[in-house]
Formats: sequence, structure tokens, C-alpha cells
Amino acid sequence: MSKDSQMRAAINQKLIEMGERERLKELLRAKLVECGWKDQLKAQCKDVIKEKGLEHVTVEDLVTEVTPKGRALVPDSVKKELLQRIRAFLAQHATL
Amino acid sequence: MKMEDMPLSGPDNTRLEALVHDIYSELVEDACLGLCFEVHRAVKQGYFFLDETDQESMKEFEIVDQPGVDIFGQVYNQWKNKECECPNCKRLIAASRFAPHLEKCLGMGRNSSRIANRRLATNNNMSKSESDQEDNDDLNDNDWSYGAEKKAKKRKSDKNQNSPRRPKSLKHKNGELGSSVSSEPYKYNYNTGISYETLGPDEVRSLLTTQCGVISEHTKKMCTRSHRCPQHTDEQRRAVRLFLLGPSAPTLPDADAVVESDSFDIPDGQTLMSRLQWEDSPDISPSDSASSKASTNHSDSRRPKKKKRTSLGLNSGVVGGVVGGGGGVVGGGGGGGGGGGGG
Repeated sequence: MSKDSQMRAAINQKLIEMGERERLKELLRAKLVECGWKDQLKAQCKDVIKEKGLEHVTVEDLVTEVTPKGRALVPDSVKKELLQRIRAFLAQHATL
Repeated sequence: MKMEDMPLSGPDNTRLEALVHDIYSELVEDACLGLCFEVHRAVKQGYFFLDETDQESMKEFEIVDQPGVDIFGQVYNQWKNKECECPNCKRLIAASRFAPHLEKCLGMGRNSSRIANRRLATNNNMSKSESDQEDNDDLNDNDWSYGAEKKAKKRKSDKNQNSPRRPKSLKHKNGELGSSVSSEPYKYNYNTGISYETLGPDEVRSLLTTQCGVISEHTKKMCTRSHRCPQHTDEQRRAVRLFLLGPSAPTLPDADAVVESDSFDIPDGQTLMSRLQWEDSPDISPSDSASSKASTNHSDSRRPKKKKRTSLGLNSGVVGGVVGGGGGVVGGGGGGGGGGGGG
């Protein structure tokens, strides 16, 4: 629905404008490094590279192989915290 | 996806939740993508596998994950229960106590010199007091009651040896006490007073010229406060002096100046000095200087410091109380030093 997509666009815009998106991104990155997610995923990348060969690996290869695993490997605590923060932001700033 | 976080049901909320989740997914994908770019660049630039080049050292320094051992494979308190043989005294010492023991054993380090000095002092003290015992014949009868506290007093004085809380008046007294300066400070216990039986008659005399000296009933120690100490009366002080020095003891310094006038001149300097020495009599001097009787003797008091030495000790107690205003007169400092040497 366009209304829905309009709303989404508006919210996204607000997120970016207020700098909240950046903050959330940094927070997520920091938490993922802390919990070891980044190292796990790097190991996955190593496997892909060894599989595809050092010379010929492309970004698309890595992305398609690694992203789904990455999404699954995010710990629950990190996920919960981030969802909470997003919800809080929306509750504060979204006009419904 | 977990739907338990949804507070209320309703179309708006589901949409909101969906939105929240979408935003979250976008953020996670951003992170993944960022990582992929990073890895790809590292691969293409050639620094991705740099930390894996040496297989041998990798095996050697692999992270250890066993119980009782840290990640390097070292045991935590391996040396706690071991004993080492000291190269100096050949004793077996526990490992954790080895370093402090070596410090003391070899005589190096901050504390060892302090302890050694203290031990020397105790030895001096003991040998000196043994020789003193023979002098105090009349006190030997009362030995049984005072013997215990002599040991206690010595321990106390040991504690104060090298600590910075050595009594300040020691510095002033050093001139006065002359020969006995080495052992006197160790017997001089700022906190608890002095036990008279360990002191020779000369020392007792010199002490009595400057201090109250009244022997406390419970501790059997001499009061170390000034002649005007509020706890004891002049009667008590007189009695103590009689007791300690015999009937020939000088009469106690009194507040009023009606004492033997001939003995005024000589000891003036010394008593002034004794007034000055004592730290806790600054409050006393102003009140004394108010008395007109004392003021007359002030200017005369600057007498030569070395008159009859032998009698100085005896008479010094006499006029102690008179010239109370000595707090303001600093010149008499040397008089006490000369007098104490003879006494």
C-alpha cells in the first residue's frame, strides 16, 4: 500500500535526518564485534575464498554465501536490544 | 521472527512491528555487506591471510582450553606451594614469602635497616637499664610491682623508634641530656610517660627539672607533662621529687616567686630553656607573663649559662615555675643545654 510505503519512507527519512540510523549502525557493529560474530563470519569468508580460489573471488560471491549465515548468526540479545531501540525511536518520533 | 514483543494486537501495531523488523534487517544486512567488502579488499590487496602464514608457530601458540590452566597453558598458582632455599641463611622459605625474607636476610631494602636499628636500640636499652638497676637500690623493694610495666614500656619505646612520630622535644633535649643522649631518647616515651626505675638519678633529676614527674597510680609512670600540668598538684610533684631524689631534693617550683632568691639567677637560663622546650606549654606562658613577679627576672635571666654545674641540676627545679613567661624569650636556649650536660 502506498500509504504504508509512504509511512516507511517518512520514517526512514526521519531516522537518517536525526542521525539515529548511524547511531544504530554503530551500535550494532560494536555489539557484533564484541560477541564474536565478526570473527565467525570471517571464518566463513575464508572457507568461501578457499573454495573459490584466492584470485577469482568476487564480492557477489562473498555476499551471497555469507549474508544469510550472518543474519542467522546474530545473537538473540543483540537482536532484542536493537529492536527495542528502533521501537523506542518510532514511539517517540513517528506520527501515526 | 519473535512476535512475543508485541504489546497490543491491532493492524497498526502489526504494521509497526513489521516496520521495526524491516529496519532491523536492513541494519544487519548493512553490517554483513560492510564485512564482505572489507574481506574482499583484504583478499585482493593480499593481507587477508597474513596471520596464517606460519603453520608451525600457529600450532605452538594455539589457544589452550583446559581446566586449571590459562589460555597460554600456564598453571595459575604453580609456585605458591613451592619452597625455596635461601642462599643466605639456607632455610626453606615459602615462595610467596621469599622476596620479603631475602630483603631482611640480606639487609637490603627499606624496612631491613629500620628493623636493624630498632634491634640495636633494644640491645643498648637492655644493657643500659641493667647497669641502672644497681643504682636504684631503694627502688629494688618495689621491683615486683614495677617489673612488668618496665617490659611493656620497652616494647612501646621500640615501636616508636624509627617511626616519624618520634617526640619533637627530643631534638631540643639532645643538648641538655649530653652523654645520655643515645639511650635517653629510646626511654623517652611520648605517649605513656617514663618509668623512673630504669633511669639513673642524674637522668631522673634532669627529667624532673623539666617535667611534672608525678607518678601515676595505675601505670606507675612519671607524668611527662610540664610543671604546670593540670592533672597534678604541686604537692604531688614535691612528693615525687622527695621520693625519687631523697630528702635533699630541691623544693618544687611554685607559681609564686617567693622562693630562695639566691637561686634565682643561675638557673634562670636553664629553666627558661626548659620552658621553651616543652611543646605543650605555649598556652601557659602568656598567663605567666601576666604575673608581675615573673617579669622582674626576665631581663636578668640572660645570665651566663655555665655557672656551678653540679648544683644546677638540683636547683633547676626550683625556679622553674617562676619565669613562666619564657615563651617569649628565645635567648635562654643555650642555658639549658649547658646545665643538662653537668646534670
